[in-house]
Amino acid sequence: MSDQGLRVAGLRASVEGNEILKGIDLAVEPGKVHALMGPNGSGKSTLAFSLAGHPHYDVTAGSAVLDGEDLLTLAPDKRARAGLFLSFQYPAAIPGVKVPNFLYAARQAVRPGELTPGKFRTLLLEKMDVLGMDPSFLGRYLNDGFSGGEKKRLEMLQMAVLAPKYAVLDETDSGLDVDALQDVGDTIQALRASDEGKSTGFLIITHYPRILQHITPDVVHVMIDGRIVKTGGPDLAQRIEREGYDTLREETGALA
Amino acid sequence: MPNLPTPQERDAALSAFAATRTGREKPSQYWKIDLETLMPNASLDGAAGEVTIESASSRAIAVDLQTGARDHAALFERAFRRAIEPQHKFAHLALANARLGAFIYIPADCALDEPIVVRYRAAEGETIFPYTVVLAERGARATIIERLELGSAALACGVTEIVTEESADITYASAQFAPQDARVIFTRVARPGRDARVAWASAELGASLSLTELVITIEEPGVDAKIATLFFPTGSQHVDIVSSVDHRIGDATSETLVKSAAAGRGQGRYLGNIRIAAHAQHSDASLRDDALLLSQTAHIDSIPALEIAANDVKAYHGATVGALDDESIFYMTSRGIDREAAERMIALGFFEPAIDRFPTEALREELRTALQAKVTS
Repeated sequence: MSDQGLRVAGLRASVEGNEILKGIDLAVEPGKVHALMGPNGSGKSTLAFSLAGHPHYDVTAGSAVLDGEDLLTLAPDKRARAGLFLSFQYPAAIPGVKVPNFLYAARQAVRPGELTPGKFRTLLLEKMDVLGMDPSFLGRYLNDGFSGGEKKRLEMLQMAVLAPKYAVLDETDSGLDVDALQDVGDTIQALRASDEGKSTGFLIITHYPRILQHITPDVVHVMIDGRIVKTGGPDLAQRIEREGYDTLREETGALA
Repeated sequence: MPNLPTPQERDAALSAFAATRTGREKPSQYWKIDLETLMPNASLDGAAGEVTIESASSRAIAVDLQTGARDHAALFERAFRRAIEPQHKFAHLALANARLGAFIYIPADCALDEPIVVRYRAAEGETIFPYTVVLAERGARATIIERLELGSAALACGVTEIVTEESADITYASAQFAPQDARVIFTRVARPGRDARVAWASAELGASLSLTELVITIEEPGVDAKIATLFFPTGSQHVDIVSSVDHRIGDATSETLVKSAAAGRGQGRYLGNIRIAAHAQHSDASLRDDALLLSQTAHIDSIPALEIAANDVKAYHGATVGALDDESIFYMTSRGIDREAAERMIALGFFEPAIDRFPTEALREELRTALQAKVTS
């Protein structure tokens, strides 16, 4: 079907009047893994927030369509219900809201009425096991007092539980040690191997290529200064590992 | 009843009530009630109201106030009027009219697993002066839950006094969901013994005016004093809370936690007193006070008052006032939860650390349900 996919075309977005995204085109097909790489400040997170509908980001032109549904006209909760998931780089801490209550509310919103609380708990513990998360997480408040690594694991747990159609991972790898990175990779693989997640498309936003050792992308995009300047296969990530972004910047004539 | 006020004592208490000032701020643009001239105008003959006391213990004494004063006079005298002090204005009024009430006595080393429940009732338009007296002996442990069941336009003006001996552990929880036109005024004062633990937990969710003073007076070392209060004025409700922890001697710990929200035209005031006397070295006092404003016309004044005269102490104070956090709302909605539900969850979560200080899951659930109804309205 031609309207399948997370399709972004000519997307421009500003923050407080400054244009950050200067026309983004990319299409993530179901079941595919795309990596979006780029130096700090290139606009990667702005793309993630613009897709998810963060109120501080003004989309000024272009389109973002998820399996035929226009995301840009939807409130953030409706975008999630359409099948979009954003793994936050800095998720909010919400004291007093317990992890399982939040996850159950989210699961019921995204996939209404599929699971009883008992079955949900079983599912939760199963996914937590893949992530090496202690069951004591279930007694804690959402991200409250969590370490950086714990927050990232909780983001991955949410992705596993919600099994979205498209998952945008905003620097989920940053600040993680090798073991945690492996757990993130395992969670993505486990989701892709499951019935619910076998057609999930991924947009993995990262500064460093190392997460791509745990999950091989089908497509690699390089973003510099609000534009995608190059698209290629996994070898593009390897080249960035060797050479950094500077040669690409020169080669593509992107603004320094 | 030799211990309850004689006519002379009653007159003296009424004069003291008239002569004592609360020292609270005056009416303002938001706050419309002058506490200095507030005089319950209902009949003051003290005959009104009912009390029932549920206790599963055979060792503890849990009886109505008059039975306590008459049949257990020696015990009763050890606690009655032993905690309140002259500055507690509304305690004078309650004392002048003290007839309805409860006397609870927990003997030495007696630990109660089940809470004692004291229920005060007032019919429509009635005024009651519920007076609760608690005496806990050495090593005694108990939880007391006070419930107030008021009819429309009723007024309750009450006192709770807790006096404990060494190493006792008393939690006293009160949660009021009084009708919107009722008024509730309470003075609650505890005087713990050496190494004793005393905890007040109070929730003010009903009534047009709710005026509560929570006091712990520390005169023995090793005391662990805890105050938790939550309130949530909505509609045109006014809530005024004063908490006072008075470290008169050192080597004691106190922790005060206040969670409040206001919506509609709800008005709240909170005054948090922490006093550490000059010789009360090694005191450890903390005060945490967070207020959430859910409408443009709601208002909460939060005033911490730390008077620290000793130099070798730990004192912590933290306060926030604000609206719901946009980033938190976005985070939750990005998971598919609609905005209203997200706001409700965040607001309820905000109260959770205070709810957690209340005994029994049933009471905590009742608080959550009442808070949810207020957030949604």
